[in-house]
Amino acid sequence: MSKATLDGKPITLEDACREAARILGDATFPVVAGLGADAAGARSAILLAEQLRGAYDHLASKEILADLDVLRSFSMFTTTPNEARVRADALLFVGPGLSQLWPAMLERLAPGQPPRHGAQAGQQRRIFWIGPEANEAANIPATIIPAARDELPEMLAMLRARVGGRPVAGDAARQPAIDELAGVLKNAHFGVVVWSASSGIDPLAIEMLQAMVADLNVTTRCTGVPIGARSGAAGVTQTSGWMTGFPPRTGFGRGYPEHDPWRFEAKRLVDSGEADAALWISAYSGEAPPWSKGDVPLITLAPAGKEPGRGLYIEVGQPGVTHDCVEFAQEIGSFALRKATTPSSAPSVAQIIDAIATKLQGEVSC
Amino acid sequence: MKPFVFTLRQEPAQRVDLSALSPDRIAGRAAAEIEKIEIGTTKAAIKVGDVFGVSVGDPGVVRFEGGSSRFDLVGAKLLPDHSVHVDGDVGAQLGRLAKGGRITVTGSAGAYAASGNAGALIEIGGNVGDFLAAPLAGELGGMSGGRVIVRGNAGARAGDRLRRGVIVIEGDAGEDLGSRLIAGSIVVLGAAKGRIGYLNRRGTIVLANARDLGPTYIDCGAHILTFAGLFARSLRTDSPRAAAVLSRKLRRYGGDTAVYGKGEILTPA
Repeated sequence: MSKATLDGKPITLEDACREAARILGDATFPVVAGLGADAAGARSAILLAEQLRGAYDHLASKEILADLDVLRSFSMFTTTPNEARVRADALLFVGPGLSQLWPAMLERLAPGQPPRHGAQAGQQRRIFWIGPEANEAANIPATIIPAARDELPEMLAMLRARVGGRPVAGDAARQPAIDELAGVLKNAHFGVVVWSASSGIDPLAIEMLQAMVADLNVTTRCTGVPIGARSGAAGVTQTSGWMTGFPPRTGFGRGYPEHDPWRFEAKRLVDSGEADAALWISAYSGEAPPWSKGDVPLITLAPAGKEPGRGLYIEVGQPGVTHDCVEFAQEIGSFALRKATTPSSAPSVAQIIDAIATKLQGEVSC
Repeated sequence: MKPFVFTLRQEPAQRVDLSALSPDRIAGRAAAEIEKIEIGTTKAAIKVGDVFGVSVGDPGVVRFEGGSSRFDLVGAKLLPDHSVHVDGDVGAQLGRLAKGGRITVTGSAGAYAASGNAGALIEIGGNVGDFLAAPLAGELGGMSGGRVIVRGNAGARAGDRLRRGVIVIEGDAGEDLGSRLIAGSIVVLGAAKGRIGYLNRRGTIVLANARDLGPTYIDCGAHILTFAGLFARSLRTDSPRAAAVLSRKLRRYGGDTAVYGKGEILTPA
């Protein structure tokens, strides 16, 4: 049985949905934020944003857009983890914490095994890791190139310069390792780079990395495996794409979808007062909203134990934990069905939002 | 002929899209008609008359008496021989895709000012937000011509993907100045934070204050560059201080060698 509270006091689910519909229906420009949900939850949330003529944003949009900005304004070579596993004869990991962001990474990529396909089949796989966390690369036969998080962009710039045979200035101590890596990538049959925007590398550094991959593809093959962001980010982005043509940070204020990563950032919309109500969805982790403004009318959908101190709260289940869900699976680079690991009667985000939307009908002029 | 004047009545509760007030949309129309133009960006209707008092004049010379950080797209698609003046602040995308003419703002401007500018002279008296002259999400190229003068400070990623034209920032520049430059020139008289000219192809960045430029800019020595002298002369009216920096002997750093190394950063020698 689901739990709902209004400013900490219990109310029935029916009343909670009616109250949510009232708050959102009364708002001029509400924002559907967080959006930490499975494909069905994202679909319902985006439909609700459209019905309300509000905006929607995902809690990991910064990381989503870091990769997407490179894809849409430059280009991006990507492949699936399985393809990397069977073909890569050179593997480059970039940045710290990758094995925490994707716990199954090393199992799935099997870096210790030789590639199986192509002319490189059976050959020793060369592995490099720029700037891992301490001990992160201890269990794989990798050459470690130490770098602090804020040094990664210049390390990638040096690497791309050396791949192109152009000079670099400064620290001579770092150059032999960079030169060796550049040589390995150029001579590889199938190089693969692995990175994550969630490890703290920004869109410009990702563009540098992908530009190097593009340079390498003039003479050999090289591609990438991006590790997606938290709270269903990759799946929500795909869902948003097929529904509106845009990724999150899209608004329906004028009745049609407009995408603007600056204008429709949920934190900015709430803090500037442009959004006059917020629906915060964080079904995976119950993460708190990022804005500092405390008095925006707020509806929170989060799992048990993550009740905020203020506003309307409706408990939802966790996708893939308390109920079956379809979400983007990092390990296969595609949508997959996840069976619930500990099924419960807690409703899904889609069920709650559909209930709110039903109560809205007739109240909002579309 | 007297200018076309929009006098601020009250700051709107939502962002407004002022691209609707371009000269071709207001030419030959009565004040009452213009006051009915819809400028809202949410389901709550908001018309020109709700925000401005309108005084009809020459549509080639538009003045806004009073500004707001919610006024987006002021001077968008401005044509040559037209001008827009704002007494106050403006919001995002000032002078977006302007073809020519002149835009002056006495206050500060928001994000994406001069985005896609192709020929206008844009002067901002105060500070400017992030992504000055940068392409919008998904676009391939930034500003392709014209000139932007910022008297205050600029935010992050100023001059991103600049293709042609000149940007002068008299104050400080935020993180990642001149990222992904394709060509064109940027002059900064204050301090510049973080990475500079990351992924620069063949653009020029002039810094009045020398600093570390990272491993992919190579010192090419101090020179008296003939072109810098000519460039200085062309800047004398718009920014005498920028002209003074360019009139000196300059140290040239070639880069970003990660790309081709055909770009440069110049600092006083």
